[in-house]
Amino acid sequence: MPTLQQRRARARAGTELRLTVFAAALTACAYVLVVAGTTGKAPRGVAGFVAVIAAGYLAAHLATTRLARGADPAFVPTATALAGIGYAVVYRLDHALADNQFAWLLIGLALFVATLIVIRDHRVLDRYTYTIGLVGIGTLLLPMVPGLGESINGERLWIHLGPLSFQPSEIAKVLLVIFLASYLDRTKELLATSTRRIGPIRLPEPRSLGPLLVAWGVALVILFAEDDLGTSLLFFGIFLAMLWAATGRSAYLAVGLVLFAAASVAAYLLVPHVQVRIVAWLHALSPRYVENQGYQVAQGEFAMASGGILGTGLGQGHPGLIPAAATDFVFASLGEELGLLGTTVVLLMYLVLVWRGLRAALGRDDGFGKLLATGLSTTLGLQTFVIVGGITRLIPLTGVTLPFVSYGGSSLITNFILLALLVRISAPTPRAPAPAPGGTRAEGPPPAGTRAAASVDAPGDPSPEPAEHAEGGA
Amino acid sequence: MPPLALAALKVAFLVLLYLFVWRTVRSSVVDLRAASPPRPAAAVGPPAPSRRRSRAPRRLVLVDERGRRSTAFSLEGTLQVGRAEACHVRLVDSYTSQFHARVFARDGAWFVEDLNSTNGTFLNERKVTSAAELHPGDRLRLGRTVLEVRA
Repeated sequence: MPTLQQRRARARAGTELRLTVFAAALTACAYVLVVAGTTGKAPRGVAGFVAVIAAGYLAAHLATTRLARGADPAFVPTATALAGIGYAVVYRLDHALADNQFAWLLIGLALFVATLIVIRDHRVLDRYTYTIGLVGIGTLLLPMVPGLGESINGERLWIHLGPLSFQPSEIAKVLLVIFLASYLDRTKELLATSTRRIGPIRLPEPRSLGPLLVAWGVALVILFAEDDLGTSLLFFGIFLAMLWAATGRSAYLAVGLVLFAAASVAAYLLVPHVQVRIVAWLHALSPRYVENQGYQVAQGEFAMASGGILGTGLGQGHPGLIPAAATDFVFASLGEELGLLGTTVVLLMYLVLVWRGLRAALGRDDGFGKLLATGLSTTLGLQTFVIVGGITRLIPLTGVTLPFVSYGGSSLITNFILLALLVRISAPTPRAPAPAPGGTRAEGPPPAGTRAAASVDAPGDPSPEPAEHAEGGA
Repeated sequence: MPPLALAALKVAFLVLLYLFVWRTVRSSVVDLRAASPPRPAAAVGPPAPSRRRSRAPRRLVLVDERGRRSTAFSLEGTLQVGRAEACHVRLVDSYTSQFHARVFARDGAWFVEDLNSTNGTFLNERKVTSAAELHPGDRLRLGRTVLEVRA
């Protein structure tokens, strides 16, 4: 008789299969509608497209059910549906970009599968805290290397490798989330305890706070040097959210927001680039700015306004008038052709992803997995907020991609890797024997004692090493 | 293709999108409901369940090398165990870490979780790698210190 867990995994696999087929159907519909809307005819050769897309989606689905048994069935269908809608919108804007995007989508799905194959247990990542942190910062630095880096639109955040260009800050984002999860899981107790007092402010041990501030400072300096405001805002938000989740102390949020306010004022006064963004945010539609600084934001608003509630229909609007319509402003393109209802449903899909991600965090019993899932979900949610908020003028516009939807290989690939990690965390980790009635859980086969210091594995080891040296004394 | 047909397709596509999200959310909610009741069924170990319900752990008692019981700590809220002054259960043992382990309640049961201590936490001499449930009579070893779980 199958155990409860097996039955549940099977039910989830069935659910995911149905939803994945639905997502593939949505992608096909979007594609057909775009072609019908632009040419007035049904597309020819749609069967080939549908076959390749469906094969890609189903490969992701099979990888999930085989390699991450019992994983949450909402992730793959929701993300692929978003990617499918994104592809259709990009195709509608520019056929050449769409061919690239199609390739990136398939590569993204392949990397999703590869991530699930390589990382059988997310706790493996917990072993390489500092390696991952350093690689993350190194990756961020790559565009500064002469000959390798390249500036596009005044933001130096691309690297060139032969014919390929890549935006390393995308993948650095995931690496830094892994680093933070691992680091904070080790130090959360120390960070949550105040040992020093300066007036009314209680501070944790500076030694435990140091590496965090260094990591954060380095990330911000690099981003300011590269003029990538969106990513820098994103990093800061992720950093704060994870610190808060790890320690449960809202004081960190308050201090962080004050720091952020100070940094914003400084950036406004010092960086001309930022002043332009603020002007475009506050006065996009004023006659003085609508033709220059505010042009992009204003065109985005016009596009969404002409879409109205139901939109013009895919392929029947003029989203091509918006600058960067397929990348940063893809949400405005969506708003024109799918209307308020269409953009709302897209936001609902992000909500589902974040909800399931946080649910996966709740379901874990290891602190690292909890923090990693929280961080990755926050990344998705915050990135969506930053770009959608910017386009709708809730906050100043900073260029980040809309996850899974925007045109862009780096972004698409990174988000599929991020998704694979969430899927991995949402799946129950297999344990060697059944849980003992005594309540102690046996270790899963791969790594559990992840710390080098925790090498005292044999129960009742007669000579444990004194903790004084490793811990550095009281 | 006539404009009316395109308009109809447009609305149909929006309806499909919402249907998709609705199905996704519904499956998650159904899954959530299915997940909650089987708890007792999943925990069917031979004699444990009945005993577990009647006798919840209430105290942690410090046991010295000669097996004598000394200080008792009552289980309330979340307890940090370690050498640091801020710990609720403060240990004087150089083989334990500043913040060695945490004892907390979830759904009426008590659990112990190791806080990546240098020398590890052992429940009945099995290394605690993720949160492990505590039952009366269990022995918890941190460094050289032994704590006994009492009802």
